[in-house]
Amino acid sequence: MLSYIIRRSLYIVPIIFGVMLVTFLLFNIVRGDITDQIAGKAASAETRAEIRKEFGLDKPLFFNDEYSPFTTAFWDSQFFNHLKSAITFDFGYSYNDRELIWDKIKRGAGPSLALTVPMLIGTIVISISLSLVAAYFRGKWFDYAIVLLSITGMSLPFLSFILFGQYFLAFKWGLFPVYFWPDLSVWQYTALPALIGIAAGIGGNLRFYRTVMLDELGNDYVRTAYAKGLSPQRVLFKHVLKNAMIPIVTQIILAIPFLFLGSLLLERFFGIPGLGYLMIGAIGSRDDKIINAMVYISAILFVIFNLITDICYAMVDPRVKFD
Amino acid sequence: MKRIVKALTAVVLTGAVVYILYSSFRSRDNSSEDDMVIYSGIGSKIASLDPGNIGDTSSSAVASQIFECLYDYHYLKRPYQLIPKLAEDMPKVDEDRIVYTIKIKKGVYFTDDFCFDGRRRELIAEDFVYSWKRLANIKYLSRNWWIFDGRIKGLDDFREYTKSCKSMDEVDYSRPVEGLKVLDKYTLRITLTKPWPQILYLLAHLPTAPVAKEAVNYYGKSIINHPIGTGPFVLKKWNRGSYIEMVLNEGFRDEFYPSQGQEMDIKNGYLADAGKKLPFADRLFFMLIEEDPPMWFLFLQGKLDASAIPKDNFQQAIQEGQNLSEELVEKGVELKTYRNPSTYWIGFNMEDPVLGKNKPLRQAIACCIDKKHYIDLFTNNRAEMAQGFIPPLMKSYDPEITERGFHCDIERGKKLVEQAKQLNKGMLPVLTLAMPSTDVVARQYGQFYKKSFKEIGLELEIDYMDWPTYLEKMHRKDLQMFQSGWIADYPDAENFLQLFYGKNVSPGPNSFNYINAEFDKLYEEASVMPDTPERTKLYRQAQEMIIEDCPAVFLLHGVAFTLHHSWVENYKPNTFQQGLSKFRRINVEKRRAYKY
Repeated sequence: MLSYIIRRSLYIVPIIFGVMLVTFLLFNIVRGDITDQIAGKAASAETRAEIRKEFGLDKPLFFNDEYSPFTTAFWDSQFFNHLKSAITFDFGYSYNDRELIWDKIKRGAGPSLALTVPMLIGTIVISISLSLVAAYFRGKWFDYAIVLLSITGMSLPFLSFILFGQYFLAFKWGLFPVYFWPDLSVWQYTALPALIGIAAGIGGNLRFYRTVMLDELGNDYVRTAYAKGLSPQRVLFKHVLKNAMIPIVTQIILAIPFLFLGSLLLERFFGIPGLGYLMIGAIGSRDDKIINAMVYISAILFVIFNLITDICYAMVDPRVKFD
Repeated sequence: MKRIVKALTAVVLTGAVVYILYSSFRSRDNSSEDDMVIYSGIGSKIASLDPGNIGDTSSSAVASQIFECLYDYHYLKRPYQLIPKLAEDMPKVDEDRIVYTIKIKKGVYFTDDFCFDGRRRELIAEDFVYSWKRLANIKYLSRNWWIFDGRIKGLDDFREYTKSCKSMDEVDYSRPVEGLKVLDKYTLRITLTKPWPQILYLLAHLPTAPVAKEAVNYYGKSIINHPIGTGPFVLKKWNRGSYIEMVLNEGFRDEFYPSQGQEMDIKNGYLADAGKKLPFADRLFFMLIEEDPPMWFLFLQGKLDASAIPKDNFQQAIQEGQNLSEELVEKGVELKTYRNPSTYWIGFNMEDPVLGKNKPLRQAIACCIDKKHYIDLFTNNRAEMAQGFIPPLMKSYDPEITERGFHCDIERGKKLVEQAKQLNKGMLPVLTLAMPSTDVVARQYGQFYKKSFKEIGLELEIDYMDWPTYLEKMHRKDLQMFQSGWIADYPDAENFLQLFYGKNVSPGPNSFNYINAEFDKLYEEASVMPDTPERTKLYRQAQEMIIEDCPAVFLLHGVAFTLHHSWVENYKPNTFQQGLSKFRRINVEKRRAYKY
């Protein structure tokens, strides 16, 4: 197992390098010059040149042809600086407000996680519970109701959940704050968006888990368990749920890196100063340095949690072996 | 199994109920209700609170509560009139209108900060010289160098010198600049390169506000987080991407609410606080709210003191075009409408091979836009039709211009298209209009333009792009046509005229790349003249020239509709003045009694 982990860990290097290369090409070659955005509308050509210098945009893209052993290194280029900033986690300053990007990320992680963690937990608990019951009552009215609910939930745009929740639950009925407010705790201003996130996410999850449960319920071991005289609770929670763990674990663990990214729309509509809001702002204002940093961190988290998923397979299913 | 279902349902429901009750109980616990606090919503993120590098209206609106300039606009008088603020009096100007001598007020202090080593730091004339040299320092990368570019003797040379420095810290600010002299601790002398009558407006513009050298040196790059000014409020907390809290500057000098205004100001209650010490509010909150629905809900809930009217809520707020709806009147909401110094247009790139040399084509396009319908459709009639670029708010606005210019006339447009075809020696190609946004509203604009062009037999493609791409393409002269506009920085039409000046072509502010020697001559003559009827005549003449040459189709001049709750007193709109919070008073009792 240890050798498997080491081997998989080594795979991370080329994957991350690939991600860095793709983001670099996208932001620096496809999207073009960012200087006008930083300089403002009335800036002179010389100010633009100075900005290029300040942010290292005046350097060659990949390799420095004009290197000399005493002054300029061969790797003194935009791409190698891009790699260096990623490896050292020193992402530099934002193009737009010249604040340290790392400070922004540290500040935004808490509010984002305060929103997305309850959303994930709530969605999983409710979806798995209801899917077990729906699978048990397959073909009955309860099952039909669950299927209908899932499809309705999946069909409605996410924005409509937000607008409905904000208007009725917060504004009309006053059950929640409409928006972030300085005297509210993080749990208060994330309560409604978390509930909205759960409501909007249940549909797809419920349908997926129901299918997983139904697959398991059709297996021989379930019939054997009933034949042995086990109660439905015992069959569902001890046997079916355990055997359905592989897809469940996969989905849960792979969702964890995305928790860090926050929720783009919910954070913007509810004024949650998280990383989703940071990201959507950076995309809108073309602050490529922030987008790069977020993509890099997300990629690292994603490959790490992928590895964790594989390890978890062995823990929940003894048939899985590492070669 | 039933027991499981029951148990699960009970757990989920109980959890949800507890969560809801807890949240609703806490959300109504608003301990700040007793203070005189002003809550404002801002629609875009604050990029910086360093006045030298501020380039957006939201940042200006916030930073101007902390920083002050030499001059300011009178809060109540109209037309807009400059008055001294940090200056003792209006400047003494020599006969050639080149040398300005300015006395600054004594006893004005920066707010206390660590960077001053525990001492009170008085504002002195040297602070202005330092701050303006800082704008000139190329290593500082200010967005506001355009203010002084080529205006003050020796300042451009100072900028040249900074190019040779390796970093910002290396720049020697003691290096003399001929046009910026400190005569004594409280007297400043500015020598211009040529007459520049607009200088006083710019000395009322936030980027020229003084900053303390000690603060800049102490905080370095993070000075953007530590605004230390002389104004009535002090930054308490800046939760980036969320809100800004300011508290009263305890050491603020004696400044009083104006005692004079317009005739209607007494009737409107704007002079009830005449002569009282400013500011009235104890605290300010600026909440970042980028989406319309929450901004509107918070206003109706009474959490925000004022709000613009979102497009989708216009019918709910306004009846019969101009009046406040009964629902809002009952809530005690008040409506303020006022003209903005703005003009919006479709611009033509005069270097484009098709449009640049084809005046009939440009004029034909000017004939196909139904401006009245456009204003109704996209602004809920919150605008006035434009025929020229000088907005009605400006003194030099020509009221007779509504009779001239290009009106929607499809038949005339078709005839002009025929002329354009002859000039083009054949069919006209598909034209492309750049839109600086990709959202739904931009696409609605696009559909409107396509339909309008089609009516006179022109084919149009719309190129939707994000703002940075749009800006980049505009600077590179890559756009054929573009939707754009301008909001004046000061109440002088020169601010619009410079948009067509030949030396300002892209990447400068002349995005039309319009070059006309005759216009340039007029501009050069008028821009150095003091405000006289002769200058107004020249401004209007220059505008006529532009209308005839048609480098743009002028669409509308903005009219703002702002709502505020009745507990906000002294709410007189002012388009040019900044730092208005010090004049506002909150009637705390009224706010507390509000029910939504």
